[in-house]
Amino acid sequence: MTMIHCTLFGLTRTRIESLRPVLYRIAYAWCHDAADADDLVQDSLSKAWTQRAQLRETEALKAWAVAIMHRCWIDHLRARRDFDNVDDWENTLESPADPPDVSCNREQVIACVRTAIARLPMGQRQVLTLVDLEEFGYAEVAQILDIPVGTVMSRLSRARAGLKTMMDRVMQQAADRPALRRVK
Amino acid sequence: MNSVVSDETLHAFIDGELDVAEREALTVRMQSDAELVRRVCAMRSLRDMVKLAYAEPPPAPSSSVPARTHKIMTQRCALGCLVLFAGLAAGWVLRGVEATHLAIATPFATGVMHDPALQPVSLAHTPDPDRVILHLDNAAPGKMLAVLDEAERLLDAAEQQGRTLQLEVLANSHGLTLLRAGHSPYAVRIARMQQRHANLQWVACSQTIARFTAEGQKVELLPAARTAPTAIGEIVTRLQQGWTYVRV
Repeated sequence: MTMIHCTLFGLTRTRIESLRPVLYRIAYAWCHDAADADDLVQDSLSKAWTQRAQLRETEALKAWAVAIMHRCWIDHLRARRDFDNVDDWENTLESPADPPDVSCNREQVIACVRTAIARLPMGQRQVLTLVDLEEFGYAEVAQILDIPVGTVMSRLSRARAGLKTMMDRVMQQAADRPALRRVK
Repeated sequence: MNSVVSDETLHAFIDGELDVAEREALTVRMQSDAELVRRVCAMRSLRDMVKLAYAEPPPAPSSSVPARTHKIMTQRCALGCLVLFAGLAAGWVLRGVEATHLAIATPFATGVMHDPALQPVSLAHTPDPDRVILHLDNAAPGKMLAVLDEAERLLDAAEQQGRTLQLEVLANSHGLTLLRAGHSPYAVRIARMQQRHANLQWVACSQTIARFTAEGQKVELLPAARTAPTAIGEIVTRLQQGWTYVRV
């Protein structure tokens, strides 16, 4: 049905709009701010709408939209932070969030993982979220972010190693310092 | 291959990026290397944690907030309807079908179930063949047998192809009989399957247990089984995590 629809009418606004939840999840994982993420998604969706003629095969819709969002995100960072070159932010940009062990000694794992991911350099964070959240293949991620597959693999590896180190430290602390016990 | 397996390789393994030969080699090695299994396990759980952390990102602060909550509700309802519909459809198709016809013929060999009677439900574009939840909600002997046969078939197929299959058998309503100690006709077989397959889980619905208990029956589960708060909750969670759902 959708296929017939697509061949007849091309990419519809509803089809593009239906990507919103997916894009928002990724955007939030990248910038960890609901308002920023919403802006980014809005921006990307309207770009996707104006560039819809460039989409060759509708199967790749999601990857195509994420690639658009990636470019919007770089533009956004450039405008905001004035980086000299792209490698710079890919390797260095870390969120100003507290290290996870400070802000979640007893809080839920969720907040903890988010904080830990927010601490990863942006390049690693993007690869990790695309692979883990949306289960893109390495080749797809390489295409979306416009980097070699080898870089995808090494960033993913470093991201997971970094995340594990942070999480292990938190778990260790949690074990050392037991949380408040319920008396009732 | 006696050297230490690199993290990159293991990541590629859990992300399904290795080719068949590499995967097989690694699976064989994992059978004798407990440390390797531990590393793979840790990586998988880290990946699941990441997924869980963003399963429900905070709503966007725009004016459409109420609309969005509404949308989430609608999505949930739609999902519920989908599950219900799948159940109804499966029930309808299965009426009169003999239990022996029920098993799926090597369902994932081509990535899809062959038998239209057992429709896999998945939120993903293509159903994930490596994470499957089988749901049993009645105590017909044919059905119970079908679940076990199906589970073994899937696990064997995965083993032959060198895939790591995570399989969960969920029992609620009268299907709970399958997992009740003293009532289950297949207790021995379940224990044997449990020993053979590390990635096989048996899950019982707590609400069903509570209902039986309220009726004055004492419910004891087989040692292999764990409980979930509600069967429907378990199904929805698994679907959201990308599992493939099959109602038997």
